[in-house]
Amino acid sequence: MVEKKYQPALDIFDKMLHGKLKTHLNSCVHCGLCGESCLYYLTHKEDKYIPGKKVDLISAIYRRYYTLLGKTVPKWVGAKDLNDETVAEMVDLIYGACTMCGRCSMHCSIGVDIAFLVRAGRSMLVEINKVVPGLQSTVDAALNTGNNMGIPRDELIDTIEWIAEDLEMELDDEKATIPLDKKGAKVLYTLNPREPKFFPLSISAAAKIFYAAGEDWTLSPDAYDVTNYCYFSGDDKGGAVITQRLVDKVAELGCETLVLAECGHGFRGNRWEGPNYINKSYPFNEISIVELIVEYIREGRIKLDPAKNTKKVTIHDPCNMVREGGVIEEQRFILKQAVSDFVEMTPHGVNNFCCGGGGGQLAMSEYAERRIKVGKIKADQIRATGAEIVVTPCHNCIDQLMELNKEYKLNVEIKTIGEIVADAIVI
Amino acid sequence: MNIYHYILLTASIICFLASLRQLIQALNKKGDLDYAEPKGTANPAISYSFTNAMSPKKKETAFLHLPTYTAGILFHIGTFLCIFLLAVNFIGFNIPEKIGYVIVAIMAVSIISIIAIFIKRIVNAKSRVMSNADDYFSNFLIIGFQVISCLAILMDNLLPLLFIYASVMLLYIPLGKLKHTVYFFAARIQMGRFYGYRGVWPPKRNKI
Repeated sequence: MVEKKYQPALDIFDKMLHGKLKTHLNSCVHCGLCGESCLYYLTHKEDKYIPGKKVDLISAIYRRYYTLLGKTVPKWVGAKDLNDETVAEMVDLIYGACTMCGRCSMHCSIGVDIAFLVRAGRSMLVEINKVVPGLQSTVDAALNTGNNMGIPRDELIDTIEWIAEDLEMELDDEKATIPLDKKGAKVLYTLNPREPKFFPLSISAAAKIFYAAGEDWTLSPDAYDVTNYCYFSGDDKGGAVITQRLVDKVAELGCETLVLAECGHGFRGNRWEGPNYINKSYPFNEISIVELIVEYIREGRIKLDPAKNTKKVTIHDPCNMVREGGVIEEQRFILKQAVSDFVEMTPHGVNNFCCGGGGGQLAMSEYAERRIKVGKIKADQIRATGAEIVVTPCHNCIDQLMELNKEYKLNVEIKTIGEIVADAIVI
Repeated sequence: MNIYHYILLTASIICFLASLRQLIQALNKKGDLDYAEPKGTANPAISYSFTNAMSPKKKETAFLHLPTYTAGILFHIGTFLCIFLLAVNFIGFNIPEKIGYVIVAIMAVSIISIIAIFIKRIVNAKSRVMSNADDYFSNFLIIGFQVISCLAILMDNLLPLLFIYASVMLLYIPLGKLKHTVYFFAARIQMGRFYGYRGVWPPKRNKI
């Protein structure tokens, strides 16, 4: 029997225990070969960081409560009780030593979706209030204030207004503006709250692109946060609340398309997970700004001059957008049009290494030291390219890359796709 | 049919039904419905999942661990060959002597491979950390199955032992680590569904 305080974790596990979860819980053959695909194991060389070992914590609980041998001879099959010890281990490894990048899943000798199991483990921990405090406070901010940084509405509007004024001056056209809550606009654009707070140039770049493309677009100061940290925490109920806000705003304004700002997990959370949080398909189109820029280029709505970006550029692939999200070649298509010297990292695309900032790690200051250490793999990848600019369509990754830039003295500029496109745009 | 045939037949039926149940449960989409608009399709990705995605060209666990990967492939071929031989023996078909020697040669390679993997699991610290008693037992069970199958080609009087041993193994398959016989296929299908739906697999280099 499980201790009463841990019963909610087993209850949610029971609810989640459908075909996919059963499959991945029963598939691992304990070969341990996944270790070399994980940035934590590669960095620390400690057995506890082998992805298969991390998720065996969850499989061991499954075996203990759901299988004949686990119930009768638990030691024989390595089954474990859900108790203080296993919960503490889960918190440390499932939250603190995994970015849910999915690299180990893709390379697993069997095909175990390890990231999916980690997410299931996190959902169990949500139910017993064991989310790492740093991550939970980010979730709480989003749920309580409407955005994960708790930016007040007036502050956001002030920021947007001065960005719009600057844009109007730069382009010398009063039509170059940022429309707020425009009913009937074709596109509702979103933001990562870090943009108004720390990276206003990203908003300015997006506005410039929309202007150049002649897009009918709007932003809403009441529902703009593209992030959904409930994906990282494992909280589907909270995830549904956050998803529903954007869904309701699209309906209220009568927009046709929701355009997701450059944010890896925000893309995944809205594009792939959001409909499942609210148990229905979206009644509108949804696309990332990266995919939209590709459309603009193809339709001739914007023109880019690569001669305007002559420095050597490389790209960092955000795991949730690329390996786990299917936006793989789009950013490369854009960069080949927008810069004159583009170089790939090794490995890249679906095989790319996580920067170390995924999985909610940036919100978990508790594990900051580990995060910076595992980021050395990315830093080495960047250095090997000789690039002067690193582009990535993810503000989460940007934060981590900026820290890596400082820590490992990379001496590179870090930009979004929108910023590099805005620099190359011909108006 | 003698008593050993009946024991093997019963064990086979139990193993088949239990494994079928596991497979049906694993692939049941109920509860795993995806409401997101798909970017790709599952079937080509499932095919890719079983083919190119498994190749050493694509899979890091293969190309970084080529000896282990190769040994793994060889002993799995040997295991399936043994299951085939078991069926042949069950129906009473006599394997021609020359073919028998070829099979024994193949089986020798397979047995060396699986023993190597077994030793690695015992000796290698990383493998040991990953392993529980079931892992060692399952590995040992397959070594025994292959060795007895191989010897039974050369010595007819070992058939009763083979049938009894195989029956024990078949009954254990749905219970322990050997159930990956079923879940391997389910996992590759699930993985194909996941990456196919999201347009990640099969790769579409330079195509958007």
